[in-house]
Amino acid sequence: MTQIALSNLGKKFGSFTALAQMNLTIGDGEFVALLGPSGCGKSTTMNMIAGMVDPTEGDIRFDDRSILDVPMSRRGVGFVFQNYAIFTHMSVRENLAYGLRAQGVSASERNRRVNAMADLLQLTPMLDRRAAGLSVNILQRLAIGRSAVVEPAIFLLDEPLSNVDAAFRSVMRSELKALQRQFSQTLVYVTHDQLEAMTMADRIAVMDHGKLLQVGTPLEIYNNPQDVFVARFIGSPGMNILEGTIASSDEGKLVDLASAGRSAPLALSDRAASQGLPEKVLFGFRPEQVNPDPNGIMALPVNFVERIGARTILHLGGDGIEAKAVLDNQIAMPSIGDILRFSIDPKMVRLFDPVSGIAIGGDI
Amino acid sequence: MNGVSVKKADIAVLPQDNAGSEEKRLGFWLTLPAQCLVLFIAVFPILMQLYISMTDWSPLDGIPWYRAYELWIGFINYTDLASDSRFWAAMWRTFLVMIVCVPIQFLLGLGLAVLFVDEFPGKRWFYSTLLIPMMVVPAVAGYMFFLLFQSGGPVNDLLSLFSASPVKIAWLSDPSLALVAVMAADIWQWTPLMFLILLAGMISVPQDQQMAAVLLGASWGRRFFTIVLPRMKTIIIIALAIRTIEIFKIFDTLYIMTGGGPGVATETISVYIYKVTQQDLIWGYVAAIALAILIVLSVISAIAISKMSKGANAR
Amino acid sequence: MRRSLPFELLRYAMILLIIAISLVPTLWMLSMAFKPIAEWSASGAALTWWPENPTLDNFRFIFGQSSSELIVSLERTAARPIMASLLAAIVGTLIAMTAGTAAAYGLSRFGKGNNLPLALIQLRLFPPMAVMIPLMIMWSFLGLIDNWFGLAVVYGIVTLPFAFWLMKTFFDDMPREIEDAALVEGCTRLRVFAVITLPMMRPALASSALFVFIMNWSDYLIALLLTTRDWVTIPVYMTSLSSSMTGQLYGAKAALGLIAAIPPVILGIAIQKHLVRGLTFGALKE
Repeated sequence: MTQIALSNLGKKFGSFTALAQMNLTIGDGEFVALLGPSGCGKSTTMNMIAGMVDPTEGDIRFDDRSILDVPMSRRGVGFVFQNYAIFTHMSVRENLAYGLRAQGVSASERNRRVNAMADLLQLTPMLDRRAAGLSVNILQRLAIGRSAVVEPAIFLLDEPLSNVDAAFRSVMRSELKALQRQFSQTLVYVTHDQLEAMTMADRIAVMDHGKLLQVGTPLEIYNNPQDVFVARFIGSPGMNILEGTIASSDEGKLVDLASAGRSAPLALSDRAASQGLPEKVLFGFRPEQVNPDPNGIMALPVNFVERIGARTILHLGGDGIEAKAVLDNQIAMPSIGDILRFSIDPKMVRLFDPVSGIAIGGDI
Repeated sequence: MNGVSVKKADIAVLPQDNAGSEEKRLGFWLTLPAQCLVLFIAVFPILMQLYISMTDWSPLDGIPWYRAYELWIGFINYTDLASDSRFWAAMWRTFLVMIVCVPIQFLLGLGLAVLFVDEFPGKRWFYSTLLIPMMVVPAVAGYMFFLLFQSGGPVNDLLSLFSASPVKIAWLSDPSLALVAVMAADIWQWTPLMFLILLAGMISVPQDQQMAAVLLGASWGRRFFTIVLPRMKTIIIIALAIRTIEIFKIFDTLYIMTGGGPGVATETISVYIYKVTQQDLIWGYVAAIALAILIVLSVISAIAISKMSKGANAR
Repeated sequence: MRRSLPFELLRYAMILLIIAISLVPTLWMLSMAFKPIAEWSASGAALTWWPENPTLDNFRFIFGQSSSELIVSLERTAARPIMASLLAAIVGTLIAMTAGTAAAYGLSRFGKGNNLPLALIQLRLFPPMAVMIPLMIMWSFLGLIDNWFGLAVVYGIVTLPFAFWLMKTFFDDMPREIEDAALVEGCTRLRVFAVITLPMMRPALASSALFVFIMNWSDYLIALLLTTRDWVTIPVYMTSLSSSMTGQLYGAKAALGLIAAIPPVILGIAIQKHLVRGLTFGALKE
């Protein structure tokens, strides 16, 4: 169990910057997910922690000790590869024992630990089978077991569920979470699937284009995105972002959203109020917060109705504006071409700076 | 190559696809030229070979080959072969070249593959340069080594640097050294082939499995011997089989360097067959030898082929 | 992964050492080819690694221009053997490529479990030596001894397995959907092959043909068996180059060897990407 600290970590491949200025501390025993689209630098970060890639800038510390000079075989990092990298020319037992053998653990101790691990992961029945041809879920457990058996201080998982079919994923998610509680190791989990990150991680680090955008608990990330990218990326569908202009009214400041109407008066936090507002803003609200309201001061035409079972997604838009609304099916559903009038709870509105993309005022 | 497998090929040429009959006919016509050529070079000659090997026929006898039955002697040629000491000596020499050259080529090729498996500046240039020997025409390679091993040639010149008096070893006319020179030429020319094949195999070993081994604490040696080598098994067998079989065929280089001599000191099986054909002209006997060798090589190649098709399927 | 400096230095040192060793024979022949007679006939202390007075005399000599120093005159010049080598190798390549490509396409598209591939591999693996007797009998029966065409036919058959296997792996790699689309449009199979498949296969055809050409060009034994005088190829001609007056004509042979060695080396480097595929019958693709 170890704390991982990344400071000013950066990696350039030639002129391409894969990662820049990454600062992140992962606590002892914490489950952190690195979340972002492909090419965002999450795998590079992970590979640098494992030692497969050398950083071009910054430092990585395990428990305050820089490990940049420690070769990857000595870092004590357990790594589960995306395709599990099982040694298919060996038996399950040989796979499990590989690390112990490499580290010179005695035969009796090795046997004891391999058997214990096989028991824990329900691999005992196939211990002497060849690893080639085992099913994906067994391979995955084997990959975890193979790393876990050497008791690494840190566990790194690289998209371990991306090869699993959708039906099995939810089973795997709970299995993984349970395993992490059992081993209580520091765990870094790379994924592009927000559902995995949301359901399993203690904290999520959202990344894009080689930059760390926000770190926080799943709820923080969902409720208070600090960046337009995070706002759009998290949630399904992501947050609606409309361009608007700040206007004043008797009841306070509000946002003029051109053809979409105007927002209710803003409930500005003290910080936002003191910071002052730019003239132009990006006006963000979750599709789930769209409140159909015949008297609503916002209105958008319905372009498309997408029914997904318990709920329905309305695609709204016109005049260069696009937004989505997620509504419960109980409500009388407008049809295509109708104008949806709605309101948004001012407390649920998030404002972003149109230039930097950063949230205005942080927590509102 | 045996007659049976080729006959099967003739029957099996009709495609089993459920495509239309036009497609079937096209498939037949497309493979026809190749089938004919195979028939021409393989089936017919082998039957003729079998026929002649049962006779005492020689082109000097003045009777055409199709009347060789007049000199029918049955299996005498084959029983003679069993007690032909020159044949067995040639076999032994071939075997010697094989057990010396193939392992050396393998180890050198493997070592080079290890040096080339990851990227480094200049890799492409070095790689191309290393492949040159295998592309030199073997007869020319034979001539190169003929020049190198002259008693006044550069090999002795180099050796002289390490000794007090000028070295004057007559490499190619000393019966105990000529085979060494021949082996040197073979190693020089064909190590690049081993290197080429083994490198391709080594690169195809999954990178993440190697990384996984290292992350589990494996040293370089443990990773190499428990992951890389076992994963290259098929390719190693292919490479060894190709070289083993080709040693039986070694002729050009050797014949130009030494002509099989001095005496019979470098007479391998191919050179022996050639000499019996060209000089002694007892063709009935040669046919018997050639058929015997063919059977030996068929066994080796059958093993290699089954491995190769497995290797191709595994990819 | 972090690489250590000592390892990198060791890598370069070893590679350079091996390259140096592997280049010596070629460079020595190169040097011999440009040496005047006084230098190549020298030995022992007079031996020089590089020609001190580089000259093209050896090349002029093999093409029939007697130089003042080499007073021997050649019965035949190198021109005809070079032509023989080219003719036999090129026509042999055409035969192998035509039959091989057709069979490869036929089997790649319509064949399953056919034994022809197997027969072809075995053909590749057995020594030409093994069918030497029937070959010589047949060829003299057909009047093809000492005839470039007879040689080309044997070359075509011997390299057919290579042409076949190379082209088959290339055809197998080509997505069938492209052809299927055209077939659905109503084109005949033959037209699809001519208009769509062959143009797409142009690079594959080129590298396979070069590969086959190198093999044909490199032959010595078959030419030695089947040609006697008029159509001997370069290697056969080279071994006959000696005279009773001066003995071995080292320089002239080296010049000829150089001429023979250059095309395959250049072509081989040009197609090195596909060498592994060809040499292992497509078991390994790179």
